[in-house]
Amino acid sequence: MAPRSCALCQKAKAMLKRPKTGQQICRDCFFYVFETEVHNTITEAQLFNPGDRVAIGASGGKDSTVLAYVMKTLNERYQYGLELFLLSIDEGITGYRDDSLETVKRNQEQYNMPLKILSYDELYGWTMDAIVSQVGRKNNCTFCGVFRRQALDRGAAMLNVDHIVTGHNADDIAETVLMNIMRGDIARLGRCTSICTQGEDTIRRSKPFKYAYEKEIVMYAYFKKLDYFSTECIYSPDAYRGHARAFLKDLEAARPSAIIDIIHSGEAFEIKEEVKATQKVQQTCQRCGYMSSNPLCKACTLLEGLERGMANSGITDRARKKLDAGGPAPDNIRTIPFFSRMNSGGNPAIAVEQPS
Amino acid sequence: MSACDNPNVEKDALMQRRQKFDGKTKICVRCKENTGNVVIRYSVYCKSCFFPLVQTRFRKSLEPSINPVPDGPRKKALKAAGSLVIGLSGGTSSTAMLDLVAKSYFAPKAESDGKLKGGKDHPRNSDKGVWKGKAGVCYVEVCGAFPGERDRTDEIRSVVGSYSNPNFEFIPLRLEDSFDSNWWKEVGGDLSSSAAALGLDMTDEDLRLVNSSPELAPLQALRTYLTSLPTQTAFYSVIQTLIRLLLLHTSASRHASHLLLGTSLTSLSVNLISGIAQGSGYQVPEEAKEEWRPRPDRGMPVRVIRPLRDVGMKECAIWDWWCNLKIVGEPRSLYGGGKNSIGALTRDFIFGLESDYPATVSTVARTCAKLVPKEGSDGICALCERPAQQGVQAWKARISIRSYQEARSSVSGNTRPPHLTEEEIVNLTKASLEAEPTPDSPISLTPLLCYACHTSLTSRSSRGTAALLANGQALNQVPLPLWVRSTADAAISAHVHEKEISVTRTIKMSRDEMEKEISAFLLPEE
Amino acid sequence: MSKVSLKIEFGGGLELLFDNQRSYRIDVPSEVPIDNSTDEESLSTKEKKPVDVKYLIHHMRDHMLKERVELFMEKDTVRPGILVLINDTDWELEGEGDYKLKSGDEIVFISTLHGG
Repeated sequence: MAPRSCALCQKAKAMLKRPKTGQQICRDCFFYVFETEVHNTITEAQLFNPGDRVAIGASGGKDSTVLAYVMKTLNERYQYGLELFLLSIDEGITGYRDDSLETVKRNQEQYNMPLKILSYDELYGWTMDAIVSQVGRKNNCTFCGVFRRQALDRGAAMLNVDHIVTGHNADDIAETVLMNIMRGDIARLGRCTSICTQGEDTIRRSKPFKYAYEKEIVMYAYFKKLDYFSTECIYSPDAYRGHARAFLKDLEAARPSAIIDIIHSGEAFEIKEEVKATQKVQQTCQRCGYMSSNPLCKACTLLEGLERGMANSGITDRARKKLDAGGPAPDNIRTIPFFSRMNSGGNPAIAVEQPS
Repeated sequence: MSACDNPNVEKDALMQRRQKFDGKTKICVRCKENTGNVVIRYSVYCKSCFFPLVQTRFRKSLEPSINPVPDGPRKKALKAAGSLVIGLSGGTSSTAMLDLVAKSYFAPKAESDGKLKGGKDHPRNSDKGVWKGKAGVCYVEVCGAFPGERDRTDEIRSVVGSYSNPNFEFIPLRLEDSFDSNWWKEVGGDLSSSAAALGLDMTDEDLRLVNSSPELAPLQALRTYLTSLPTQTAFYSVIQTLIRLLLLHTSASRHASHLLLGTSLTSLSVNLISGIAQGSGYQVPEEAKEEWRPRPDRGMPVRVIRPLRDVGMKECAIWDWWCNLKIVGEPRSLYGGGKNSIGALTRDFIFGLESDYPATVSTVARTCAKLVPKEGSDGICALCERPAQQGVQAWKARISIRSYQEARSSVSGNTRPPHLTEEEIVNLTKASLEAEPTPDSPISLTPLLCYACHTSLTSRSSRGTAALLANGQALNQVPLPLWVRSTADAAISAHVHEKEISVTRTIKMSRDEMEKEISAFLLPEE
Repeated sequence: MSKVSLKIEFGGGLELLFDNQRSYRIDVPSEVPIDNSTDEESLSTKEKKPVDVKYLIHHMRDHMLKERVELFMEKDTVRPGILVLINDTDWELEGEGDYKLKSGDEIVFISTLHGG
């Protein structure tokens, strides 16, 4: 059989079968359509304004590595006029982040982007290693998830950026749609497919890879020879989410469009008005000023629990009551510095490492 | 991303595997006297409390929808606007449903078991006249889709016949009736000769309608249609759609105000997740409850009610067993086959999850009950006759670029693919432009479809098509179910008609403008 | 070797996997290998436990099932979606697979996989 020519340019030899469409296309067309779809996602949602300062949440993994590369490419090709930064969070997990942060530092040089690394230790006074040694492996993901979200926002404030982009891909979003349905998390279900979220006082956050298949991100990195760090978190438990992920992979094998079809479903519905009305309003945390649905934000609650040796208080209602029954928080516990957003336009709040 | 890079991870900790039964007490939670016989969602019930429990949930799901207008604070007698049709597949839950309907609404007082009446022993509840006319039990034989499967119609007939009071009318249908013009005429369908000849070109994703489809016997037409589908997923979901529309059209022809389907809570959750995985998020509310009107409009809408939507498959199976009901069962190919279909994968996933996390099934249904489709409907899908969302094709083209012509707004000039010359990209966008349907070329079915049905007909698997076509069956002339032909034909003539109107409008407009221009020169009429 | 006599019944279409026979009377040994192996040699040589439902399920798979083992068993127990009643009571109330069988017990297996 003669080699097939690319279904898109009809010129070059087809080199790969595209996971998303099943089309046989050449390498250059693959790069181009992959990038253009991300561009479509960005322009359709009007994510950026010229002159925006944008931080790329960089973990050193494949998604954020490819994201940094594609953001740089598109910013030049379509003249978005963005100022791009890399922002990394160091959770303090020995043997996990140590290595991946090296990748981020290399990216800083390759892409000529300023990098800021913010550690849990610096912000909360606790590394994940220290947290796990107190709470064990069962609930540590709760701490890490809550702490990372807030750390990203705070890091972005330090960089004085308008916007954070993260490497969440289509598989992540499809999986989250399924998870939120299965565990009845109606509030998250309502917002998990939005490309861009913005709390009242925080920086805009968006997911330009919302429609990009994980397989294609890997393929892109492979053909572009981008180096990234690939490892599983050593504390990550294989719980309910593991089932959902395995199920999604089966669905994708049965019909590759399933991932995009699930996202389409998630975008097609919304929460009934009468249900929305019962949801909690956003406020700011009394202790640290971060957005919260309670007087005390999740991160402050978790931190107080850690400091007082009652780590479960941020996780279950019963443990929280026990904490409250123990009286008000003592003055001498560590707290998170008060969160205040800089006015945009000024100088960066702190000096950032410049690429050498 | 690793699991941990997801900000939504925090709730994982709460999804702990919970023991189904703590082993502390085996006493029934309802009567608090007897030793329990069955565990339902963590609670223990004894055998005599089990029956009223199931029956109460059944009635609670059905009765608020019986009267045409929902009751206010004062409950009125149950009085439906039309007759009743019950869908029976012979499986676990529809068998239980038929039994519950018979015992709850048709059993003469003397014969009925006092226990089964719950607390509501009011005469109105045993009044025969909730629905008008004779209740029909409708069965769709699917063996036509599975060569080698036995025909179960007679077994189902005897199940229906075992209820002597009421005397249900048995309505046997076959899957291939969807392609049988006699059936279509019987249910009041309208079919012009242009509609009768409509077929579908399934050789590519354009889904062009062709009007030279060969006349095939219904069974052969069904098989051609099913084997032309690109995936196993599509094969099984199309069968479900055919069954649903056969039941709906039959119900409408009997002036039925209600069609009851035996979807249990477990199946509802499976259907919801499977539907979402196939892109039918816009139609989530329809999975639990829908109101359907035949097209063209003829008579009252049919309410599709799933009165077992709050009763798990386990309770249905136990009801059947304790009431000694015969389960004819669905063909094994329908539930055991299609391992690679999204429907079967979802079912195995949910059943597997249910044994470790029993709350999942009801959580899925409860969550989906809080959802509504976003605004912007594009009318009714020609295939599944459920609401279709607007702008589906534009969305698809933006998310996945399948040709440079589709993406021509962003591929030209300096932003063109770096490996192509300006001339090459101009040719690529122009070349496909010429291939676009012209007014004379066939019209596509695509704009008449919802996202999920369009995906069913076009989305391919890496494993290739569901089956190979038998000799002589052409992929470019695939027969369509009759309601699709009728709708598509109406759309084509409306399309042609619209053009004529727009032409006359243009003339009118320009006459108006002419008048405006010359008005200064016109003398006022006296 | 002493025996335990049982009545086995099938519902919901599960009988199709068992020669389309809805009811069986069978005997199983009162002491069985801990690892649930059901062959003659294991029965005489391996370490023993009193016969339980878990063993019965293995016995049914090895000696009674006519086809499609995956439709009956998964991961050492019955496939999700198959209900088990022990003397008319949900096996979840009786310790599931660990229930110790005694003569005269009636065990019912009901498939719920037939759906609608």
